[in-house]
Amino acid sequence: MTRAAASAATPARDRLAVPAWLLQHDMAMCPCGCIGKRKKGSYLAKTIQGGSKLLQQVMFGEDVAKARGLMQRVDPRVKLLSLLGLLVVAGLSHSMIMLGAMYAATLALASASALPVGFFVKRVWLFVPAFTGIVVLPAILSVVTPGDIVLTLWHWHGSPQGITQQGLVAAGRVVARVAVSISLVVLLTLTTPWIRLLAALRSLGVPRIFILIIGMAYRYIFLLLTSVTDMYQARQARTPGIVRHDRAARAFVGASVGALLGKANQLSEEVHQAMTARGFRGDVKTLEQQRLHIGDVYYVLAVVIFAAAIMIGDHILGH
Amino acid sequence: MHIPDGYLSPQTCAVGFAVAVPVMATAAARVHKRVRTRHVPTLAVLAAVCFLIMMFNVPIPDGTTAHAVGGALVAILLGPWAAVIAVSVALAFQALLFGDGGVLAYGTNVLNMAIVLPFVAFGAYRLISGNASLTSGRRVVAGFIGGYIGLTAAALCVGVELGIQPMLFRDASGAPLYSPYHLSQAIPAMLLAHLAVAGIAEGIVTAAVVAYLQRANLPLLKVNHPGVPIDAASAAAGRSRRLRLRPGVVAGAVMALLVVLTPLGLLAPGGAFGEDAPEDLDLHALGLSKIPEGLNQYNGIWHSAIFNGYDYTRDTHPAVGYVISAIVGILAVGAVVYALAKVVALAAGRRGSANDPAAPGRVRT
Amino acid sequence: MAIERDSTELADESIIVVTGLHYYYLDRYPALNDVSVEIRRGERVALLGANGCGKSTMLKVLGGLLFPSQGTYRAFGHEVTEDSLEDVQMSAGFRSRVGLVFQNSDAQVFSPTVREEIAFGPLQLGLSREDTAGRVEDVTSMLGITDLLDRPPYQLSGGQKKKVAIASVLAMGPEVLLFDEPTAALDPRTQYWLMDLIEQLRDTGKTIVHATHDLDILYRIADRCLVFSEDHRIVAEATPEQTLADRDLLLRVNLIHEHSTLPRPPRVRVVSSEC
Repeated sequence: MTRAAASAATPARDRLAVPAWLLQHDMAMCPCGCIGKRKKGSYLAKTIQGGSKLLQQVMFGEDVAKARGLMQRVDPRVKLLSLLGLLVVAGLSHSMIMLGAMYAATLALASASALPVGFFVKRVWLFVPAFTGIVVLPAILSVVTPGDIVLTLWHWHGSPQGITQQGLVAAGRVVARVAVSISLVVLLTLTTPWIRLLAALRSLGVPRIFILIIGMAYRYIFLLLTSVTDMYQARQARTPGIVRHDRAARAFVGASVGALLGKANQLSEEVHQAMTARGFRGDVKTLEQQRLHIGDVYYVLAVVIFAAAIMIGDHILGH
Repeated sequence: MHIPDGYLSPQTCAVGFAVAVPVMATAAARVHKRVRTRHVPTLAVLAAVCFLIMMFNVPIPDGTTAHAVGGALVAILLGPWAAVIAVSVALAFQALLFGDGGVLAYGTNVLNMAIVLPFVAFGAYRLISGNASLTSGRRVVAGFIGGYIGLTAAALCVGVELGIQPMLFRDASGAPLYSPYHLSQAIPAMLLAHLAVAGIAEGIVTAAVVAYLQRANLPLLKVNHPGVPIDAASAAAGRSRRLRLRPGVVAGAVMALLVVLTPLGLLAPGGAFGEDAPEDLDLHALGLSKIPEGLNQYNGIWHSAIFNGYDYTRDTHPAVGYVISAIVGILAVGAVVYALAKVVALAAGRRGSANDPAAPGRVRT
Repeated sequence: MAIERDSTELADESIIVVTGLHYYYLDRYPALNDVSVEIRRGERVALLGANGCGKSTMLKVLGGLLFPSQGTYRAFGHEVTEDSLEDVQMSAGFRSRVGLVFQNSDAQVFSPTVREEIAFGPLQLGLSREDTAGRVEDVTSMLGITDLLDRPPYQLSGGQKKKVAIASVLAMGPEVLLFDEPTAALDPRTQYWLMDLIEQLRDTGKTIVHATHDLDILYRIADRCLVFSEDHRIVAEATPEQTLADRDLLLRVNLIHEHSTLPRPPRVRVVSSEC
């Protein structure tokens, strides 16, 4: 169409001075015909790919959250409160046996909630607990955690140094507690649609303004992610050959975060107008309304009894 | 930088929430008052931007990568209170949806990344950029240093929070209950990684965006810089103006410094409350280079006074007692500094307006 | 400040009256220059002009989002200013009667789900949850998007987002509908769906104002065209037929290119074989 050209300031009868290189048809490949060496994707490519993986993950989560299972039937408010309670219990318990029992309970709940257990375990362990294991590994040594040496590795000024029993206990306990905590959170988020989780936060007293901001930010993460991907692809498309990764990539990150902010600023202006046009005056009302069922009461009872059992068991084992 | 659940004792997490929640509430109220309904979409979009910045892993010459937080950037663009909201919302996503950073530890994570980071970064930025024009290179440098210092301060906080765990929480056999690393191990480990890696990332992102906006989107940069001249010419015209002394900012900075420094007293090996041990002097001298002897003595007096007040904590909950005494002490010092700064600012304001009647608004503090 | 709704005897009244309107961006750059417009109830008006001529700004002024730098804007007999919209009753009356469909659906669809999105307007205007839920059901079944209700907006296509944006405005039951570039970035099928919808809305007595530079749809969506020049003034006012016949005018306002082919009125197109 010629409409675009018509908006130019120059008189329409002036032909565009198209530079010669734009009219060339041969591709800008090297004459020998080789396409070039393939290089491993830069960190940037990985980050961008990570972004689209993130999208998939969230969408998968929404599917599981809609499945019919035990945890899906529990009211999100109840789930959220019992999550907090169980996290505190996990934080307070000292005994590995009790932490093990809690972990087993999360596995049982996962399988009762139509979550593939293999997926659940992988999702939990791949992130933090495995990393934690590496981080706390040095803590088993007497240098970090002095105590009763169970395995002597070297001597220092005559005294034996090595792995201590206290160090092993401490490291194991941190890993176990991290795994239990993450399992509990993942269990909640995989069985609760995002919108209902927000509504639950709201009814538990989180101010409306925060809920509104969280809800909108969630929505705009995906939009901005798309524009970052677009910017990256546009840059890729204009970058033949191999550029030295890090420096160019850093420049790209700076420029794209800047462009992202400009875009974000413009977007928020428009969103504000769209909200105002529909009667927004600074205080928002939402549709969501939930009622508690008898099943929720049973769930609360079960959680309370379980938590009490863990605390009592921990007390007995600890003394 | 994100502390997961399990590393911190529930008591520490409670303290984290006790600090984070009032600050978040204040932030919401302040931002609400200043920009009416306009702030809602802006903050939402900025929270999304922070989330994405945390996703951007920036490569560092040694081959590793690190992520910035974006808190320094938002603080420069819209002020530190807006940054509190934007970063804490981004952290809420990560905690709830991706298991990145704990739910119980949320308050503590907010304290580190959404409160300490933006305020320290913004303070440093303001100090360094001074009255430089909006397009001057000095603001880019200030952005880098602000981001760098802000992130490092946050990392220091993380190190302190993790480091006090084994001193305060052990089981009967002496094995630590939570994060096992002592302050003298946790702080250097956190600082090393963040001084060398993540701090640079935050600095680069902040500086690069400030530089980009100077070229491409000056109006966005102007939002939080009222009265700052745009280019060197108008800067020269307004050079006579001086930086106003703001008592709230000064008191806040001193309190933040104390929050960070207080647990350093625990660094001394050999006992939980080892401030008065002889090693104390050496460690402080190492950390802070110059400490007059008199101050050291004074420090001891101050400490024992607090300690007497919270004597009951000797028995069951030394942790809670220590933290409470620290908070009370810091609040007291903050109040004194605020009052002092207020007096100084008033005096300076009166003198300034008397000398230079052409500068209105100086009296307002 | 309340706006009375019973005005059936005044079917011909001008419900929108703009007089001597100037608008400056950042108090410096003119976007509208001495614009005066009257729009009668049930009319369909197209604002025509090249990119950047001020037609989007005009829609935002009509939607009560931007306010005149000079001149006045009266809607339903009341002057619309930043101050008058601070009044709760005036604001509710005005917002529920004037709906704006943005060009960028991404800006307009901001809620976590389609259901919350469509419920947003009615809830802000004080409708009960039950009434709102009823309206959401009605408007989604009317537009055929019931299956999208519980979807998050990021899963929607461009056309679906546009439908949701329109549904969210229709749910407030507006009398005046403002469309900013309604057909931009829509596939032909959705474009036709939209034009059918606009015709149906006209038949129910809605007043419709478009900002567009899509000349192909002009015959179907407008009774009257206002042509904006590049210096932000209204330079012509005529029926679509007259407007499209005036080739010099369209060239002068830079809306078409020397070689553009203009669409012909529908009955001519049936006769001719070239289409």
